[in-house]
Amino acid sequence: MLGFVIQRLLQAAAIMLAMSVIVFTGVYAIGNPIDVLIPPDADQKLRAEVIVRYGLDLPLWRQYLVFLGNALQGDFGRSFLYALPTLQLILSRLPATLELALAATLAATLIGVPLGMYAGYRPDSIPARLIMGLSVLGFSLPTFWVGLILILTFAVHLGWLPAGGRGATVEVFGVGWSFLTRDGLMHLLLPALNLSLFKLAMLTRLARAGTREAMLSDFVKFARAQGLSEPLVLFRHVLKTIAIPLVTVFGLELGTTLAFAVVTETIFSWPGMGKLIIDSITALDRPVMVAYLILITFLFVVINLVVDLVYAVLDPRLRQGRTA
Amino acid sequence: MRIETRLRTFAAALALSVAAFGTVQAQTLTMGVRGGPESLDPHFSALGTHADAAKHIFDTLVWADEKNQVVPWLAESWKAVDDTTWEFKLRRGVKFHNGQEMTAADVKYSVERMPVVTGPTTTAIYVKSVAAMEIPDPYTIRFKTKEPVATLPYDFVRLFVVSAQAAAAANTKESAPQEFNSGKAAIGTGPFKYVSWTPKGDLVLERHDGYWKGAAPWQRVVRKEIPADPARVAALRAGQVDVINYVPSADFETLRKDPKLATVKGDSVYVFNLQLDQREQTPKVYDNDGKPLAKNPFRDARVREALDLAIDRQTLVDIVLEGFGKPTGQLMPDGFFGSSTKIPAKVHNINKAKELLATAGYPNGFKIDLYCSNDRLPGDGPTCGALGQMFAKIGVTTNVQAISRTVYFPAQARLEYSAFMNGWGTLTGEASYTLGSMAHTPAPNIGLGQFNRIQYSNPEVDKLLQEGRRTLDDAKRRALYEQAMEKIVADRAYISLIVLQTAWAGQAAKVELAPRVDEETLAYFYKRKG
Repeated sequence: MLGFVIQRLLQAAAIMLAMSVIVFTGVYAIGNPIDVLIPPDADQKLRAEVIVRYGLDLPLWRQYLVFLGNALQGDFGRSFLYALPTLQLILSRLPATLELALAATLAATLIGVPLGMYAGYRPDSIPARLIMGLSVLGFSLPTFWVGLILILTFAVHLGWLPAGGRGATVEVFGVGWSFLTRDGLMHLLLPALNLSLFKLAMLTRLARAGTREAMLSDFVKFARAQGLSEPLVLFRHVLKTIAIPLVTVFGLELGTTLAFAVVTETIFSWPGMGKLIIDSITALDRPVMVAYLILITFLFVVINLVVDLVYAVLDPRLRQGRTA
Repeated sequence: MRIETRLRTFAAALALSVAAFGTVQAQTLTMGVRGGPESLDPHFSALGTHADAAKHIFDTLVWADEKNQVVPWLAESWKAVDDTTWEFKLRRGVKFHNGQEMTAADVKYSVERMPVVTGPTTTAIYVKSVAAMEIPDPYTIRFKTKEPVATLPYDFVRLFVVSAQAAAAANTKESAPQEFNSGKAAIGTGPFKYVSWTPKGDLVLERHDGYWKGAAPWQRVVRKEIPADPARVAALRAGQVDVINYVPSADFETLRKDPKLATVKGDSVYVFNLQLDQREQTPKVYDNDGKPLAKNPFRDARVREALDLAIDRQTLVDIVLEGFGKPTGQLMPDGFFGSSTKIPAKVHNINKAKELLATAGYPNGFKIDLYCSNDRLPGDGPTCGALGQMFAKIGVTTNVQAISRTVYFPAQARLEYSAFMNGWGTLTGEASYTLGSMAHTPAPNIGLGQFNRIQYSNPEVDKLLQEGRRTLDDAKRRALYEQAMEKIVADRAYISLIVLQTAWAGQAAKVELAPRVDEETLAYFYKRKG
């Protein structure tokens, strides 16, 4: 098991290295960040000075080596735009994104899986048809539009919930969390709902398909023959067999939500990482782009690792295969 | 009896505290702004949004008024003592937030630290002509320049004065952001004091009661950064914010008709210009079969005039920009220092344009790629698209490339474009800023023509611009720039299209808005109602 974890972490390091090369050359291909950032009335002399100051006069490979050397010592450089250390900048916005992504993914799972299982258990009932019909909407409506409609309905017309921003936070372990306050929850509700709709639809459909298949299998017949109650059959036996694809999707979705909640964060002015990365892209703020993507790669690898470990817990066969 | 008294006291206290809370609410101005500062160090960035936020905490030596013309501020008066010396007299009794008096030493410290602590959007441009400083007494400061610099007072509209004492430790690139962002060095003379700030988040400010110009009408100001247009509008309509800037043109009518809201629209400093490459050979022009043209058609004055005649500016304003602009024929808005009153009104005449093209040797037209940004200024992409259709009507088939500014600007700097539409803001309100960088032949040795990305070169214009830079007499200098403007406009390498307008909206019962051409959203100048 330990060997497996180490192997995965080495893979992660290789992916992160490749990522940094791609981002570095990518930004270089777009152009010199200074041309976006410099004020229009700076003369040629000042422009040259600024370029030297940020080390952008060096050839690309040397710029990269300088970056790599610093990164290995834990220094990812300073943002061109904010002059702050990039890691500090990104981490300061991580809690906001983390709580939004977790809220959305958990809500999607806790609502979507039971709904899907019901729809798979009683496929011909009217509620099941309704659920499946609505799930198509969840799939097909663009997040941007749904977000605006949510704001218009609940914030502008009804005035029940705030139109955007993050609510009051409580400090826990030196980090501000907003889901612990009433105001924070009010602010969290709409963006989390908006972000979860797509996942909700997907998990519902996935759970339904799995349940329909499992209901026909022999072990369900035997369980019923044994005289187990229907809820017990469903939640102890069926849920366990359909869990592996659900966990996979949960992991993937959590990762993508963390990294790319941009649309929702923008509409609801949620101060998360998505907004930061978009701004750094439009300003060619290379240090932030590189550090962010490396961090995201790391997150993806960790989430996938956890998903793999969960597989092993869920399915004894996998556990055996790996230790062998 | 005693219980009753207690109850009464309690009720009275409750009423009082509710009233107090009410006043705090009424005296708090919450603003939803599109962009915020990058740092609380006013010297870090020359961006407009940066200065906009900084002006709440800090004052500038010279002030740009709502029409972008210079007025005394921390400096009460200034004059050129000789050709290379400017003397500024400081206002007496101006207090920093920490109670200490502002003197010439603070001004000197501010000028010295700008080139050291600035970011890539360099603020060094504002003090680059200062060679040395002298302080004859605490309320006088003299600036020595290497050559005569007529525009020094204009440069100083962005010379924010920080406290030499409070910002003493914030004197390197590394230490400055920390010192200022934590509030330790964010001690200014401005109308509001620092309370808290997070990058891309909220800037919270409190009234500075001892402000030299009189205390602000707001006890507390919260500037929330809400970059997405629909989100900003929704926040205003939901009552979460009192004021928003950059009202999108599509929402303007709805907000204007809402009785709870007040809207105000004003001219901006930005002008859209069509820019035509003047090199012998230019990369992005083709014949009708798509083969590159050997000769640059934009060097022919008849072709340039034909393109000018093809443009229907009123349609651009009415249809494309939904009324958020004004047709113009010159590179700066009317009334700016150096804008000419003698520019003839532009005409739209397709037939004449076609004739001109035919006489220039292009009876069947040709093909061009037209480039512009699509995410920098409101309406930049759509305006460019409409231009393409207008050119197609006279036979110039136009392939419009509206792209992100991150790609657009670097390629423009590499001179990869033949025809492009560019937005230019005359941020200082005077012509040397605009004409000096765009219309002078590129001349790195004298720092002129740095944004002349079409290699436009007219010796007469060069002469006028160089003379203008040396001339300290305002009236004479104004005449020189007006002449230069007329010549540039007549050459049509730069074809000006539209002056952009911007709009603000606020809660009608609470706040009275004040538009500014530099698009700043300054709480101090927003009157409180009720």
